[in-house]
Amino acid sequence: MAEKAILFDTSRCTGCHACQIACKCWNNLPSPTGLNENKFSGTHQNPPDLNGQTRLIMTYHESEGTLPTKTVQWAFGRRACQHCTDAPCASICPAGAICKDEATGMVTTDNSKCVACQYCSTACPFDVPRYDGVQGTINKCTGCVDRIEQGMPPACVTTCQPEALAFGDRDEMLAEAEKRLEMLKQRGYENAVIYGAEEMGGLHVIQVLKYGVEAHGQVANPTVSPVTTLTNLMKPVTGVVSGVTVLGLAAMFGLAAGYKRDKVVYNAETEDTISLITGDVVKHGDGQDTTSVKDHILENLPGKKGGDHE
Amino acid sequence: MSNVHVQVTPEQAAKDERFLEAREQKGTERYIVRHSKQARITHGVTIIACILLCVTGLFVFVPPLSQAVGADVVFVIRMAHRVIGVVFVAVPLVSAIMAPKGVAHIFKNLFAKWDADDKKWMILFFPYLFMAKWIHMPDQSEVKSGQRFADGMLWFAGALMGVTGVVMLLGSTVFDLDGGVYAVMLLLHDIGFFLVAVFGMAHIFLGAGIFQPYRGTHRLMFGDGLVSESDALYHWGHWAREEIASGKNVIEK
Repeated sequence: MAEKAILFDTSRCTGCHACQIACKCWNNLPSPTGLNENKFSGTHQNPPDLNGQTRLIMTYHESEGTLPTKTVQWAFGRRACQHCTDAPCASICPAGAICKDEATGMVTTDNSKCVACQYCSTACPFDVPRYDGVQGTINKCTGCVDRIEQGMPPACVTTCQPEALAFGDRDEMLAEAEKRLEMLKQRGYENAVIYGAEEMGGLHVIQVLKYGVEAHGQVANPTVSPVTTLTNLMKPVTGVVSGVTVLGLAAMFGLAAGYKRDKVVYNAETEDTISLITGDVVKHGDGQDTTSVKDHILENLPGKKGGDHE
Repeated sequence: MSNVHVQVTPEQAAKDERFLEAREQKGTERYIVRHSKQARITHGVTIIACILLCVTGLFVFVPPLSQAVGADVVFVIRMAHRVIGVVFVAVPLVSAIMAPKGVAHIFKNLFAKWDADDKKWMILFFPYLFMAKWIHMPDQSEVKSGQRFADGMLWFAGALMGVTGVVMLLGSTVFDLDGGVYAVMLLLHDIGFFLVAVFGMAHIFLGAGIFQPYRGTHRLMFGDGLVSESDALYHWGHWAREEIASGKNVIEK
């Protein structure tokens, strides 16, 4: 199977929320339905952001219009997993609960493996994965890999009436995005861009952003946080250094096998430290050591002055 | 101490001989009080908690371990990690509140100025670890220079683990911690684990007396807290002579 992608053309989106509802229906994700249970948050986005039971939301970016006939400009957006090729959520997940679907390129989840550490939430440059406190697992768009395997497009795509969403081979979706971008440019939308072709090694949600990246609430130049890179690095570094430490300690243990030393006592009256075995004074007083480092190392070696220490 | 013996005057030699005879007649040995009961209990609880935290933490830190036991087991282990973490943080804090002078004493020793013997000891330490049969080490004060460094690292790593652990625990339960801050806490927690793993293993190797020249040192923290005169003179010569001369913390038995 060739790499797949969802194409989202913002110029065709009517902000109807159908994709959001289809996602909830297919994935059996409930919404609060009680009277006034959804508090107005000052935006048409509902809920205002992703949460443990909402994998996809439509975003509404309102600004002043540039035309006399359009005093308000709406830039609709899609906020969900972008299915990165270099997915940091998958690389940081200790449980293997988030992984890339090799056949499609989608970043999918296996809730049965999720240990709820939420490391993926810290690693995502798009701030997408959300913890579902009810299920005790992480929740994010899976790309509807279950549907794709059965030859169906993702649920959100199926329901999109104005055909703002499309699904197919990633190459085809990119080619289609180029065509639509060209059309928008011809119509005078100079800020229009394609988003997802190169970002994070190539996303599997390709977007045609009519008013530019920021206008649609997308992250400009998303990158893996250096903190996430370092966190991933800590595992092998700790493993290697710990292993070397164990080997070093084992060597020290082996080399010191059979070590013996004379018992000593201290006569405070004469300030002499005396060997109980030989009766010799091994140190007088409590002054600082005067032997050089080299002599410390060499003086007791077999064949040197002082002879073997044992 | 070197096995090269020191020449003393005949009077001194006679006094030393009488000293040894008197000692033999008594049939007792001298011990110096090294650690209080409270210090030993605090150390014991903390070290058990630390080892359990390392083991439980490994199930998240090492992906194959996590995947081998499955999500449900890891979830239980993670919850246990949090409970043990509270013990790891709370017990030393309570102990410190109960004995502030003891804490001041520990930190005074940790940050004590290094004298010539301290510096020489540190230079000789790594060769000594591999050539302990032949290298004699300079005398040391109450806490060896290397011990100050290693103990200091363990204190630092423990505090780092404790603070970042508490922030992550509260940030995922009491309040919603920002993802970026959580990521930094996680990295610092991992760095703390790295330090605890390396310095902890070395600490156990030496402190538990696995290393032959350190045989018996486990009794200082896991026994009666006493160190024999001979061992004290070997490990902390300056301190031992001072203690024996004052006689304040010396026990004969």
